[in-house]
Amino acid sequence: MKVICDRAALQEATNLTAGVVNPRSPRPQLACIRLTAKREGAGGTLTLAATDAEISLRLTTDEVEVQEEGEALIPADKLRQIVAAQDTDPTLTLETDGEKTTIKGTGSRFLIYGFPPGDFPPIPDFPKPEAAADAFSASSEVFLQLIQRTIFSTARENSRYAINGVLLKRHNKKIEMVATDGRRLALARGTVDPGASKSEGGQCIVPTKALNLAQRLLPTAADKIRIAITDNQIMFAFDDPDSPGGTVLTSNLVEGTFPPYEDVVPRDQDKKATLNVETLSSAVKRAALLTNEESRGVRLAFTGAQDKMLRLSSRAPEMGEAEIEVALDGYEGEGIEIGFNPAFITDALKVVTGNDVVMELKAGNKPGLIKSGNDFLYVVMPVSLQ
Amino acid sequence: MTQASPIQSEIRVLPALVVDQIAAGEVVERPASVVKELLDNAIDAGAGRITVELEKGGIELVRVADDGAGIAPGQLGLAVHPHATSKIRSTEDLDRIATMGFRGEALASIASVSRLSIRSRARGEDGASVIEVEGGSASAVRPDAGPVGTVVTVRNLFFNTPARRKFLKTPTTEQGHCVDLVRALALSHPAIGFVVRCDGRVVLDVPSGQAVRERAFAILGREMETQYVEVHADRFDDARGIALWGLAGLPVLARPTARWQHLFLNGRPIRDRTVQHALREAYRGLIEPGRQPAALLMLEMDPGAVDVNVHPAKAEVRFRDSGMVHKAVYMAVREALRSTDLTAREDAQRFRFEPVVNGGAAATGKSAVGERFAEYFERLVPDAGTKNFDYEGIKRTLEEERAQIERENARLEDERRRIAASAPDAPEGARARTPDMAGQHGLVEMRPGGRILQVHNSFLVTQDDQGMVIIDQHALHERVMYEKISDRLAAGALESQRLLVPEIFEASSARIELLEPLSGLLERLGIDATPAGPHSVSVHAFPTFLFDKKVEPGAFVGELLERAEADGWDRTMEGGSDSAREELLHEIVDMMSCKAAIKAGDRLSEQELDELLAMRERVERSSNCPHGRPTAIRLTIRELERQFGRS
Ligand SMILES: Nc1ncnc2c1ncn2[C@@H]1O[C@H](COP(=O)(O)OP(=O)(O)O)[C@@H](O)[C@H]1O
Ligand SMILES: [Mg+2]
Repeated sequence: MKVICDRAALQEATNLTAGVVNPRSPRPQLACIRLTAKREGAGGTLTLAATDAEISLRLTTDEVEVQEEGEALIPADKLRQIVAAQDTDPTLTLETDGEKTTIKGTGSRFLIYGFPPGDFPPIPDFPKPEAAADAFSASSEVFLQLIQRTIFSTARENSRYAINGVLLKRHNKKIEMVATDGRRLALARGTVDPGASKSEGGQCIVPTKALNLAQRLLPTAADKIRIAITDNQIMFAFDDPDSPGGTVLTSNLVEGTFPPYEDVVPRDQDKKATLNVETLSSAVKRAALLTNEESRGVRLAFTGAQDKMLRLSSRAPEMGEAEIEVALDGYEGEGIEIGFNPAFITDALKVVTGNDVVMELKAGNKPGLIKSGNDFLYVVMPVSLQ
Repeated sequence: MTQASPIQSEIRVLPALVVDQIAAGEVVERPASVVKELLDNAIDAGAGRITVELEKGGIELVRVADDGAGIAPGQLGLAVHPHATSKIRSTEDLDRIATMGFRGEALASIASVSRLSIRSRARGEDGASVIEVEGGSASAVRPDAGPVGTVVTVRNLFFNTPARRKFLKTPTTEQGHCVDLVRALALSHPAIGFVVRCDGRVVLDVPSGQAVRERAFAILGREMETQYVEVHADRFDDARGIALWGLAGLPVLARPTARWQHLFLNGRPIRDRTVQHALREAYRGLIEPGRQPAALLMLEMDPGAVDVNVHPAKAEVRFRDSGMVHKAVYMAVREALRSTDLTAREDAQRFRFEPVVNGGAAATGKSAVGERFAEYFERLVPDAGTKNFDYEGIKRTLEEERAQIERENARLEDERRRIAASAPDAPEGARARTPDMAGQHGLVEMRPGGRILQVHNSFLVTQDDQGMVIIDQHALHERVMYEKISDRLAAGALESQRLLVPEIFEASSARIELLEPLSGLLERLGIDATPAGPHSVSVHAFPTFLFDKKVEPGAFVGELLERAEADGWDRTMEGGSDSAREELLHEIVDMMSCKAAIKAGDRLSEQELDELLAMRERVERSSNCPHGRPTAIRLTIRELERQFGRS
């Protein structure tokens, strides 16, 4: 294999693929990236593949000039470090000789000992729609927003594995993605193109790590991405079906049952505040300045339909107190006081679109509901206040 | 040095009333009880030197010889008569017991279950006399030769009650109990010399005329000197005054049982829950819950303020004002611990590099002030058994001494400042901060801007003015969390986050039933848990900060109930004292801090490292994690130099 690569493109590709690799893998071959150079298209393509046994990523770049087809298996961290370090070079040349790969830049030459490419596990191809339990395509813009609006609410390293991922649920053209960490829940809705899918839809739980990668791949993806779900895997194809190579992300699904989220979304909230997103976000951030690890909560006191004010306050013993007042765009119902973890509010405000959000409440010890249009719902549980 | 004998007149039979007032009960259970009674008598007789001989753990033979006042020939028969004593004559006397033995039944009881003989010569007599008692029947008194003093020999314990003989443990175990007993008495009677021989072998030998501190370490072991801090208190405010001197063991010495606790009241070894509890309170957060600190405490108080006659074995006492005793002990010990740098003393004892150059002595720095305190208490603490405690005199001495120590302190401070200012190579920061280094909290000061090294994602290495400091990141963080949560609890219930969907876990019905009695406690801790069914519990709310630290509600509450069941927390909640309930609360805070703390193996960013160390300086007593393991150890420059053969 001999290939001249655009260094920036190679760096982007290595960073993404290296992100999949488990550096502590007991098999050194799995801590590698497999490179495949092909003379297809204009200058040819270079495909990078990596896996951590749960997730695998195959990523193709055509910003290369393939002089000799071939394969190489190189330790991911070394490849990444070298490509990043040669940052003044416009191009780098990769050339393999058996298990050894030479990387050449201006005035530098690295020889890396790799492994036989055959030692690398096969990376699955994106399946034909017939082979999958469910297959559909979605606008990459829509899908990116669905991810962004939910992924921040997932639990991390929770022993209830199901909530470490995002629930993806399709019914015909409608798709819902839901994430929760047990204290708040984010629900985003969108539409997809079921194409010729033989099923009405279904649901599965996708690991956060896979969606994180997808989130990074989506901005440069084709307008439409394809999604296929099999028994225990989900696959994303980010390129047009007819483009050579193509970037494919495959992930095992999270097993387990997702909490019954429909029951959690409150339906009888009798107080309704309309707030400007910027105003609320800034007020919450300021109130959060006087909270600490042991006293996280910020008190939200809505004065009622008459004066339509929101008074935010916080207090951390031995630190101090804050009080912030903002005017509401609208309020219905009686006044109420409720405490929230400020980060939970600002997290949600970051992903809403539009100028206003609606906050619906019932009681100080009952869930709060934040809505933005019809396609974003956010349930947040209160904290006790002193 | 011998003490004044409290024996004022001849032995007489106690009136029936007094007999009734005295708790009945077995005096003799095992060889150690014999040793105890005989030693009490010898001490009461004003002995200056006591020799104890044991054969087969005391089962075959216990012999106690003293050089005390002795018993006149005419009194020998009465000595072995039940309820014959020379020490009490009336009910009023029972209120003011200052001697060791006082019921007049010990010798008689021992005599009824052994072959006992007494040879004694009273002062002023020409010769000794002997009496022998076997299974309760006494021989005639006959003259014999011998020095002034008394030798009591007890052979074949329980020879006539085989059932009780069967209950004796192995000679080794029995011997252990006997020797422990002599040790305890030797601790509280530093003026008396003790020799113990077991089957001919000397196992304890301490000279007479020792000072109390000297005696303490003669018994505890010389090498323990660096492992204890001195404790003292004086309360002369009113007639119930209590004076206290003692040694509080470093937290590392804490044990699962109270075996390393030596408590004395007016020279008498005691077991007392009030004092034990006060001790544990003082060490709260420094040792693992359930462990007992090592300590030696000598309380001196007016005999009228204690009821010694609670238990026939006389180890248990009843304070008239136990709250006052609790407070005095707690304050004194806590103060001593607070003002000590509990950073484990990394001395040659526990830490040896190869090659050890001069096999040397511990290089721990005992401050000049500490030294002075030591001397001062050696002089101050009255010899046990001294009845008329000169409160006023001691109070004056104390005040003088204290003023002197303060002057000394100020002088040392000045000196330190001078040295620091003139040290040419001291970094700027260190120079500026040196004066606080003698700070009362004894926290290790970090050099600002100094580099911190994280080793194996588990330990932090940094330096202070004395050398190198190695910090256990988990232990330190746990400590910090503990203090923060405790502070927060003082301000009100912990902040609690409600859950979207209750977390449900399985639990036995016994554990589910504990939710009710524990509800008040759980509420303060921000936990809302209710039974979810006959075999499950649901958690509805959980402390915010635990969530942030990824502690899972179900698992945590499950573990809490498990401990509650094992340790009977429901009983504490329902019938326990306020302080016992408070202790429970802190036990749970312990659990919380342990779970919330960063673990060994967690990689910390530069910023996290800085934050952790900054918190260390802020948090009181951060030198021990709440479980009592040290959070930091120090390797002094002196020790390093020694290890490298530079001194
Ligand atoms: N070692 C001793 N030296 C002098 N007198 C003793 C000694 N042992 C016992 N006696 C005398 O014998 C009495 C009875 O002893 P004991 O049965 O132990 O009762 P108690 O010690 O309670 O008075 C004591 O009061 C004391 O007068
Ligand atoms: Mg006696």
